Amino acid sequence: MEFSSRIDLDRRSGGRWAALNPLTWLGELSETRYWMYLLLLPSAAMLVAVVLYPTLYGFDLSFRQYRLTRPDLGTGYVGLMHYKRILTDAVFWLSLYNTMIWVTLSIVLEFLLGLLAALALHRNLPGTRVFAVMILLPFFLPNVVAGHMWSLMLDSRMGVINDVLVNIGLLDSYKAWFVSPVTAMGTAIIVEAWHSFPFFTLLILAGLKGIPQDLYKAAQIDGASGFSQLRLITLPMLKTVIAAAVILRVIGLVNSPDLLLILTGGGPGRSTQVLSLYAFQTAYRDFNFGYGGALAVVMFLILMIFAWAYIRISKVNRD
Amino acid sequence: MSTAMNRRAVLKAGAAFAGTAALAPTTLRAERAAINYWHTFTGQLEFGALTNTVMPMFAKAHPEVSLEQEPIPNSEFMAKMTAAVVSDSKPDTSMLASERFADLHAMGALTDITDRVESWERRGDFDDSRFASVTDSEGRIYGVPAFAFVDWMYYRKDWFEEAGIAPPTTMEEMRAAAIALTDPAKGRYGFGMRGAAGGQHYIGNILESFGSPVQRADGSVGLDRDKAIEAMDWYAGLYTRDKVAPESAPNDGFRQIMEAFKTGQTAMLWHHTGSLRSISEHLELGEEFATLPMPAGPAARVARLGYASHAITNERNADTAWEWLKFWGEPDVAVAFLDATGYFPASTAAANDERIVSNPIYAPAVETLGFGVPHPSFPGYAGWSENVALAAFQQILIGSATAEQAVDEMIAELDRAIN
Repeated sequence: MEFSSRIDLDRRSGGRWAALNPLTWLGELSETRYWMYLLLLPSAAMLVAVVLYPTLYGFDLSFRQYRLTRPDLGTGYVGLMHYKRILTDAVFWLSLYNTMIWVTLSIVLEFLLGLLAALALHRNLPGTRVFAVMILLPFFLPNVVAGHMWSLMLDSRMGVINDVLVNIGLLDSYKAWFVSPVTAMGTAIIVEAWHSFPFFTLLILAGLKGIPQDLYKAAQIDGASGFSQLRLITLPMLKTVIAAAVILRVIGLVNSPDLLLILTGGGPGRSTQVLSLYAFQTAYRDFNFGYGGALAVVMFLILMIFAWAYIRISKVNRD
Repeated sequence: MSTAMNRRAVLKAGAAFAGTAALAPTTLRAERAAINYWHTFTGQLEFGALTNTVMPMFAKAHPEVSLEQEPIPNSEFMAKMTAAVVSDSKPDTSMLASERFADLHAMGALTDITDRVESWERRGDFDDSRFASVTDSEGRIYGVPAFAFVDWMYYRKDWFEEAGIAPPTTMEEMRAAAIALTDPAKGRYGFGMRGAAGGQHYIGNILESFGSPVQRADGSVGLDRDKAIEAMDWYAGLYTRDKVAPESAPNDGFRQIMEAFKTGQTAMLWHHTGSLRSISEHLELGEEFATLPMPAGPAARVARLGYASHAITNERNADTAWEWLKFWGEPDVAVAFLDATGYFPASTAAANDERIVSNPIYAPAVETLGFGVPHPSFPGYAGWSENVALAAFQQILIGSATAEQAVDEMIAELDRAIN
């Protein structure tokens, strides 16, 4: 049947065929306020599949008995059992304390190094491009590679760091950096800062490019020193960038056990045991996914509370 | 002449091409069965032995099988296998260390191969004890032992002779020798203590040597508090009181203890037969260093016989995987692998091979086969020994806990792991 004949038939049937035509139906729907929800549907489905479902599954796991090596215990719900255990788990509290030290000192060091590097690169001195690439290099290294590389460089028998420090007279003999709790954590923080400060450099440098130069010229006319300009113009203007960078790095540091896993394994004697490492060990060495899940949920909540509090305290959302 | 290509012709050609493409791999697959194999041969020597010795021999014997190997670092093996079990993406076949059997069996990663083993023509080559560490409580077998890691001690023969000290046979003799040979001014230490990753194995050995096994026969917590405290105090005392181990001991894993011995920093080292080749490349065997059975403790002489087996971990290609498992039991393969790596054959027939029994270097290992015992193996042991026992022991080493506090933590957490 020709298309024109079908139209005629449609007309004769009082528009019934037109109402059944999906294209007509979609056309009409596009005129309504529901159209935007339809367009959002694929993205929403994707979000549910890759974000919401795994997150809820993790929450669900934390309320279950789920020990892979104890199938006799089943996988039923155990209520708040894992959370009650967390309250009395000395390793959890030690890990939380270590996490706070690990994250706070790493962030401070990374921020300071990142700020210095960004300010230096922003001056556009000769060779800036070469230095920019060199500064960014550590960030391109995977944590695992960086960890093994530093583990060898810091080795107490053949490490190049010890060799250099002994040769320039700063050390009498080779030092085992990961044996004392203080030097183990301190050394790991330095390695972490070396690896991740370019992240701050990148974001701060991008922020610096957006600060109007007129502000600095006016400050110079008023006789403001370089430090005053940094304190009163640069840092306030970078507040949003710094807040975003800090939140992203804190999330990264809290959630990533790989560097510490390679450098110290949480030792010696749990002195560098952090929450992410404890959750990893609980799940993949004790095979207790229920308790590991509860630890992960607690980390999730800590990060949510931190992000909310940090944004409120820094007042960054008022700008 | 020009031929017009119409739409129907294009569709027909496309369908024919798609059909051929779909059939071709199926045909190829049918001709050459493919299996994948996970292992922890990550060292240069052992990886080379696998890929340059064993796999070519297997390819020659089984041209119909395509074997794809995947090396996984030992420390990451369980994490990867656990993820594979949870996501149902297990390999066809995998290496199975005896101390991991209980955990892998409990999580359902292994396939029962009892019938295959019982009807295997080489079953008689293996003593029953070889299968003990891969057999469950109901007698079902899950692996074929391929080679053994026999615990023994390496010592600097030249240093001992220079100091006029007899090779130690007990732990106290070993301690006395370590004290005598330690000279920090020369950078020499008596004992290469493994205080980091992997050191948990020796904690278990020491506990048992002092009369405190980790688990009783009925499955309950076997740690005897007083004996365990004595054991931990003695072992940690080598570092904290006697100072016969390098300063780095709490952070020393396999690489560090090996480097220290090979470069002349330590006089004695506990490890297994698998390191013989590697050490021989740096020190002269029989002149600079030699081997001894593990020293006896106050209550027992403990040396582990760690059998590395192979298991079928996925039933989809079980018949082909079985060919790979049993291939390791061939005496020629076992001896070729021993020559390449120093790894002792698990097959009793291969271990009795003239090339092994007539070699004096292997005499301590042959002696150890007589009294050695497998690693403790029960669900939860691996996690407890690595996460709890090792961390508690390190706390004694760095002075943040006493032996009493460390043992109390070990007992409490072992109880939690078992129950």
